[in-house]
Amino acid sequence: MKVRFLVAAVLAAMLAVAATTASGGTSKAQAGKIVVWLQNDAQNGWPEAVALANRNFKAQHPDVDVDVQYQTWGNHLQKFDAGLAGGDAPDVIELGNTEMTKYMAAGAFKTLTQSAFPNNKTWLQGLKNSAQYNGKLYGVPYYAGARAVIYRKDQYKGAGIKSTPKSLAQFVADGKKLMKKYGKDSGYSAVYFPGKYWYYAMSFVYDYGGKIAIRSGGKWKGTLNSPKALAALNQVASIAKSMSRASKTTDEANPQQALVFAKGKVGSFVGNGWEWPYALDAKVGNPALDPVVGAYPMPSHIPGKFMPTFLGGSDLAVPVTTKNQSLAVDWIKAFTSTASESEIAKAGNIANTTKLLAFNASNPKLAPFARAAKFSWFVPTSPNWANVENANVLQNMLVKIFTGRASVKAAATSASSQITRILNTGA
Amino acid sequence: MSRLAPEGAALSSVAESEFALASRRRRRLTRQRLGHAAAPYALLAPAAVAIGLILGYPMYLLVRMSFEKYGLFELIRHQGRWVGTANYAQIFHDSEFWRVLLRTVLFTVVNVTLTMVLGTGIALLLLQVSRWLRVALTTGLVLVWSVPVIVAVDIWRWMVDYEFGVANWSLQHLHVGNFVRHDWFANPWTGFGVITALIVWGAIPFITITVYAALAQVPQELLEAAAIDGARPWRIFREVTMPLLMPIFVILTSLSIIWDFQVFQQIWVMLDGRPTSDYYTMAIYAFHQSFQISEYGLGAAIAVVMVLFMFGATLVYLRQMLRAGEIR
Repeated sequence: MKVRFLVAAVLAAMLAVAATTASGGTSKAQAGKIVVWLQNDAQNGWPEAVALANRNFKAQHPDVDVDVQYQTWGNHLQKFDAGLAGGDAPDVIELGNTEMTKYMAAGAFKTLTQSAFPNNKTWLQGLKNSAQYNGKLYGVPYYAGARAVIYRKDQYKGAGIKSTPKSLAQFVADGKKLMKKYGKDSGYSAVYFPGKYWYYAMSFVYDYGGKIAIRSGGKWKGTLNSPKALAALNQVASIAKSMSRASKTTDEANPQQALVFAKGKVGSFVGNGWEWPYALDAKVGNPALDPVVGAYPMPSHIPGKFMPTFLGGSDLAVPVTTKNQSLAVDWIKAFTSTASESEIAKAGNIANTTKLLAFNASNPKLAPFARAAKFSWFVPTSPNWANVENANVLQNMLVKIFTGRASVKAAATSASSQITRILNTGA
Repeated sequence: MSRLAPEGAALSSVAESEFALASRRRRRLTRQRLGHAAAPYALLAPAAVAIGLILGYPMYLLVRMSFEKYGLFELIRHQGRWVGTANYAQIFHDSEFWRVLLRTVLFTVVNVTLTMVLGTGIALLLLQVSRWLRVALTTGLVLVWSVPVIVAVDIWRWMVDYEFGVANWSLQHLHVGNFVRHDWFANPWTGFGVITALIVWGAIPFITITVYAALAQVPQELLEAAAIDGARPWRIFREVTMPLLMPIFVILTSLSIIWDFQVFQQIWVMLDGRPTSDYYTMAIYAFHQSFQISEYGLGAAIAVVMVLFMFGATLVYLRQMLRAGEIR
């Protein structure tokens, strides 16, 4: 009998241990603290806006702490999925505007009341569209970004370029002059263009009248192999080949292109507004370049016009798993207040409200980006678009083209059929 | 226990059936003998329960998920939809899956072979060198072994960096060719070459130290006898040392196959978490389907296939090697 007692006792003890470890960690503190996930752009670019929002929120809710956790674009959605599965997602999350549709369609967010938020009547239309699904609002516009050419005035002058280019042909001709003057240094790029920089490459496609995909009769069709898109991609390949010494297999953020620019061997690159001050940053960049850096909107192949820029941006949403919805909403209100948005704009972004556009236009370091933002393109609005991004379809295509492993046509055709499949079936 | 066991915890159910067997016999046994019969099971029970909980239950969930449509929508609602074998049908009809499988098998074969050959070679070398050199070498190996994987990957990534890497700099200065801004990952062959070097480098210490320890156990008389009989070193190694070390080799090879077949971090971190499809191995492919495309059911099916494949590969190998190596 002793042995049976022993067996029973051991089993009971095991179960007790298992039960306590299984239930540990699942209980979540109510209120007391809210968790906010922002992308690390805010951490590097506009920490003051975050601090301001936290101060204002704290004044309103003295006993609630705000835990801002910074995420990276590469893996924040995977972490978010894990959080949703475990019921432990943050109370507020920032999502890129191209990522919103997938999550709105899957029911990942609480619906929000538009009138509750500051400047809700003057939100940027493009951002507002990205935060709505089937007529309901699931996100609050946070900020937008448009890209322009950031360049070295001194090098342009040194290569005999008198004024910034007004057409793509002129842009290419200027690039050739730069390469002739400085390109003997094998590290020099007249136009820094890493192989996975699809936001820039796709701007050419839209400029030439092409599209990533079109929708007809309820079906999506990838169209990167259309004649117009192919012409654009050929132009991209030729610029990258003759004027860029950037890696053909990395993207614009690894390494940060602004910091490569700061090292001095780059004549120009296409970047967001915040990348200009970032290149001059005293800690990671080169402040001495301040007087010789300028920016202008990327010119179109049609002389006198601008090339459409990708309208990047972010929204703030409240995941369905939160138990602190009203606190989450209050924090978003604080973070998207006019004062906080002004800080975000000062850092080189386009604020979420048209009210602050004049502020951008009056600042010489922001004006080129505000002008560029007037002509923009956006990704196909399908709940499955995020999967195209996550499957790296466009990056794969560009790497194949840049490294010469496939012809432009073959790479674009294969990417198009992948896009068709993913947009229609999800996988 | 009774609630969890039917849910597929293989080991605990084995333990339980043993229990049942024991209890049927029990009626015929005296009380004293009962104690002797039950004691081993009592001692095994905690381990069986623990394995059932931490391994069996997640495995059960994984297998169940592989038969379900489990996307983002289902994830949020914590409720999958049963689709039978649809996920398996989809991956078996996907040419990408077969490409990835072939790539992974090839990768595993190359890596395991290199690791085993080089690891054993260095172990044999250790027997021959002087004491202080042996200590120095062993220290170096232990240091390599103790570098955390992520740190090791970052160091290697810096070494083969496109702009500032010491690999490009050295090769340029040695006049091997033009390596200024050489992109090792532009071509998947050289890219996988770098990854293979990193993995083999990281795995050698374990193999070498284990094989060296085993070599030290080979009776000196046997080697001497063979030498006196006129056998040359290679033949002594093949016909005396190898058979004696066979159990160790089998274990090490099987472990290496398992490690290399499911390699993930090295490729993932080396390529900034966004490897192009040329760099997909099975583990990355499963991760991609699950966490990037949010098709968790599909990802689970790939993981199940991967586990079965690995199990099959090591089983066949184990049996063959054991049969070939039977000397006792």
